[in-house]
Amino acid sequence: MIRFILLLFKPFRRFIEKMGADYNQFTRILELKLTLDNRRVKGLTKKPQNDQQNMLVKQSLTQIFFGSFFGIFLILVKLPFTFFYFSHTFLMVMMAMTIISEFTTVLFDTTENVIIQPLPIKGNTINLARNAHVFIYLTLMAFNLSVVSIVIAMVKFGFVAGLIFVFTIFLNVLFTLFLANILYLGILQLASGEQLKNLLMYFQIVVAILFMAGYQFGMGMVDKSNIMNMVLPVNWYTFLVPPAFFSGFIEGLSSTNFDPNHLIFIAEALFVPFAAIYLTGKYLTPLFNQKLMDLEQGDRNAKVKIETSHISLWYRLMAMIFVHDKDEKASFHLMWKMTGRERLFKQTILPSFGYIIIMILVPFFSKPDRINKMAESDQYLFILYAFMFIGVTLPAALLIGGNKHTAWIFKSLPMQSPAGFFKGTIKAAFAKFFIPFYCLLAIGVCSFRGIKVLPDIFIAFLVIYLSSLLIYYFQNPVFPFASEKSATQAGGTIFKIFGIFALAAAFGFLHKFLLHWHDYSNLLLIPFYGGIIWYINRILVYKQITWRRVDRVNTY
Amino acid sequence: MDHQTIVRIHNLQKKYGKKEVLKGINLEISSGQIIGYIGPNGAGKSTTVKILCGLITDFGGEIEIFGQELRNHILEIKKQVGYIPENAVLYESLTAMEFMEFIGEMRGLDREQTRSKAEALMAIFEMKSNINQRISTFSKGMRQKVLICSGLLHNPDLIFMDEPLSGLDANSVIMVKEMLIHLAREGKTIFYSSHLMDVVEKISDRIILIDQGMVIADGSFAELNKLSNDANLEKMFTRLTGNTNHEEKAEAFINAFEK
Repeated sequence: MIRFILLLFKPFRRFIEKMGADYNQFTRILELKLTLDNRRVKGLTKKPQNDQQNMLVKQSLTQIFFGSFFGIFLILVKLPFTFFYFSHTFLMVMMAMTIISEFTTVLFDTTENVIIQPLPIKGNTINLARNAHVFIYLTLMAFNLSVVSIVIAMVKFGFVAGLIFVFTIFLNVLFTLFLANILYLGILQLASGEQLKNLLMYFQIVVAILFMAGYQFGMGMVDKSNIMNMVLPVNWYTFLVPPAFFSGFIEGLSSTNFDPNHLIFIAEALFVPFAAIYLTGKYLTPLFNQKLMDLEQGDRNAKVKIETSHISLWYRLMAMIFVHDKDEKASFHLMWKMTGRERLFKQTILPSFGYIIIMILVPFFSKPDRINKMAESDQYLFILYAFMFIGVTLPAALLIGGNKHTAWIFKSLPMQSPAGFFKGTIKAAFAKFFIPFYCLLAIGVCSFRGIKVLPDIFIAFLVIYLSSLLIYYFQNPVFPFASEKSATQAGGTIFKIFGIFALAAAFGFLHKFLLHWHDYSNLLLIPFYGGIIWYINRILVYKQITWRRVDRVNTY
Repeated sequence: MDHQTIVRIHNLQKKYGKKEVLKGINLEISSGQIIGYIGPNGAGKSTTVKILCGLITDFGGEIEIFGQELRNHILEIKKQVGYIPENAVLYESLTAMEFMEFIGEMRGLDREQTRSKAEALMAIFEMKSNINQRISTFSKGMRQKVLICSGLLHNPDLIFMDEPLSGLDANSVIMVKEMLIHLAREGKTIFYSSHLMDVVEKISDRIILIDQGMVIADGSFAELNKLSNDANLEKMFTRLTGNTNHEEKAEAFINAFEK
C-alpha cells in the first residue's frame, strides 16, 4: 500500500526537484511517515495494525455518510456551474477546518527535529514531505466527502463532467493545502522563538475565522431567491473566488464552451494551485527548518523566566466550587497551570473559539432585526447551547501533547484509583477555559433578557458540564498531554463535532419544550441534571476509570 | 543496627509476549544496605526495578516488601518507596518547584512541608536559584537532580534508582555517592542499577549481577573477589557475562569501515 502511494508521486519527480527538494530523500521521509502511521502502537497491546486500519475505514465511512447529506442537498441544484461551486466551497472549508484544528500539529511537528536536523537533507525536502503526508490524508477525506456528489454529478451532467470534477478535486486539495501553507509560513517570517509560539497559537483563531467568513461570503454570493433554480451570477469578483475557478473549469471543459469567461476560469484553475506551490517552495520555506528549531528550543535561548507561585483569586474560587477530595486537588492545581502553558493544548482549543464566534454570533448579529427578535423570543437558548462546542472539545485536547513518557509519575505514586486524578484534570480545564467565557456570555444575554433568564443560563451550563465530563470519562484514559497526534485519526474530529451539535440541539429542544410547557417547569431540569452530575462524579467515574483501563493505554 | 529483611523476591518471572525477560530471580534484601544491581544491556535490570516499584503489575512469582505481599498491598508499599527513573521525561512546562509540589501533594504531604523539603534538597544540589524556572530550560543533569529530589521528598525507607548517575557531572556524581552512603547509614535501603562499575564497586555493600534474566553473581565485592580473583569489577563483569574478546571485536569494528 505504501509502495503504491509512493509510486503515485513518481510522475511529479521533476516538479518536486524543481522546488528544491531531493526526490530520493523526499520519498524516504514520506515512506517513514506512512510506516510510522501504520505501526503506531499504544502501550503493549497486541492489535495495533488492525486498529489503525479499522479506524481509517470507520472514519472514511463517517465522512462518506456526512458527504451524502451535502450531496442530497445538491440534487436540488440544476445549473452545473452552481452545483460545482457549492461542492468545491464545501470541500475547501471542510479541509481548511481540518488543517487548522488537526494538521498544523503534524506540519509543525518538532519531536523529530533531533533525528532529522543533523542529517544532510536538502533545503525544502522536509517541508515538502510533510505537506505530501498531509496531502495524502486530505485527498482521502476530500474523496470520501465527494463520493456521493460525484455520482450525482455523473448522473446529472454526464460521465465526462464527473471525471473532470474528480480532477478538480485534486486541484482543490492542492490549492487549499498550500493556501494554508502560505498563511502559516507568512506568520513564520514575522516572529521567532518564544514569541512565534504564542503568535502561532492566536493566529490559529484568526485563520479559522478567515476561512469561516470566506465560507459565509462564498455561499452568500449564490442567488437563492428561487430555491429550485439557484444561480451564481458571474461578476468581476467571481473571478477571485477559488471554488469558482474549479467550477468554471469543469463547465468549460465538459460543455466545450471556451468563451472568455470560461477560459479565464480554466487558466486560473490550472495556474493558481501550481503557482501557489511553487511560490511557497521558492520563497517561504527556506526559513522553515530554522524556525521549526525555534519552536522547540526557543525556550532555552530566550531569557529564562522565573515563574511566580502567585495564586489568583479566580483559581481559589474555582477550586472551592469544584474540588473537595484531596486527590482531586493536586491534579486540579497541576492542570490549572499546565493547560495555560501546553502549546498543543491551546493550539487545539483556541480555534474552537473562532468557530463559535463565526458560526453562531456573526450570522446572528449581522442582521440587526435578529437582536430585537432575541430580546423577545427564546433564541438566546440557541446561543447558550452553542457554547457546548467549547466544553466538549476540551476532553480531546487534554490528550495531546509531548509528555508521552510522563506516565511513570502517576504509576509510582500511591493512588488507590486514578479516577480522582482524572476528575481534577477535566474540572481544571473546564473551570479555566470554559467558565470565564460562559460568564461573559451570560452577562451579554442577561443584558438583553434581564435576570429572569438566569435559571436557563444555569441549566445550559449544567448540560455542558455534564457532557464534557461524560466525554472525558469515556474516552481513552491517557494521562494528560501524553498522546501523540497522528495523521490517521485527524480526519475524524470535525465530524464528531457535528455529532455534538446534534446532541446540543436535542438538549436545547428539551429545555425549550419545558420552558413553554408550564411556568417554571424548566426548573425541573436543575435537580435532574444536578443528579446526573452527582452520579457521574461520585459513582460512574470510579467504575469507568480504573487502573486496568489506564494501564492499557499508557506505557511506563 | 539490626538488619531485617525488607525485600523478599521469590522466583520472579516476566514475559513480554513470548520473550522471557526475567527467568526466576530470587533475592533477599535487608535494611540499611546499598545494593548495586548490574548487568549488560537488556539483562532485565530496569524491568526488575519497575516491577518492584509497582509500575509493572503483571509478573510471575512472589514479592514481599516490608513484609507485605506486593500485589495486594501495592498502595501501602508505594507510600514508603521512592523511585528515581532513568532519564525520565518530566513535565516540561512546569517549574521544578511546581513539579515537586505536585508529587508531594499526591503523596499526601502538605504544601508548606513539600516546599521547604524541596528547597532544602535543591539547595544541596546547588539548584536553589533554578527552582522557579521551567523544566524545559534545564540541562540533562539538572533534570536528573529534580528527579532525585522529587523521589526523596516523602523520606522513603526504600529507594529504587535506575541509573541515577546518568547525565550528572563529576561533582554531582561524588555528591550523590555521598548522599547514598549517608542515607544507608540512616537505615534506608538503596537498590540501584548502574553501568558505572567503579562507582558500584566503591559504594555498594552488595553487588548483584544479572544476565539474561538470571542472577549470576551475588555478594559484596570482597566476597565475589575471593571466588574469582578479578582485579576489579569491570573485569569480573566482562568475564561473567561472556564477553572476553573485546579487543578482537574492536578490531572487527574498525575493519568494517575499511572495506
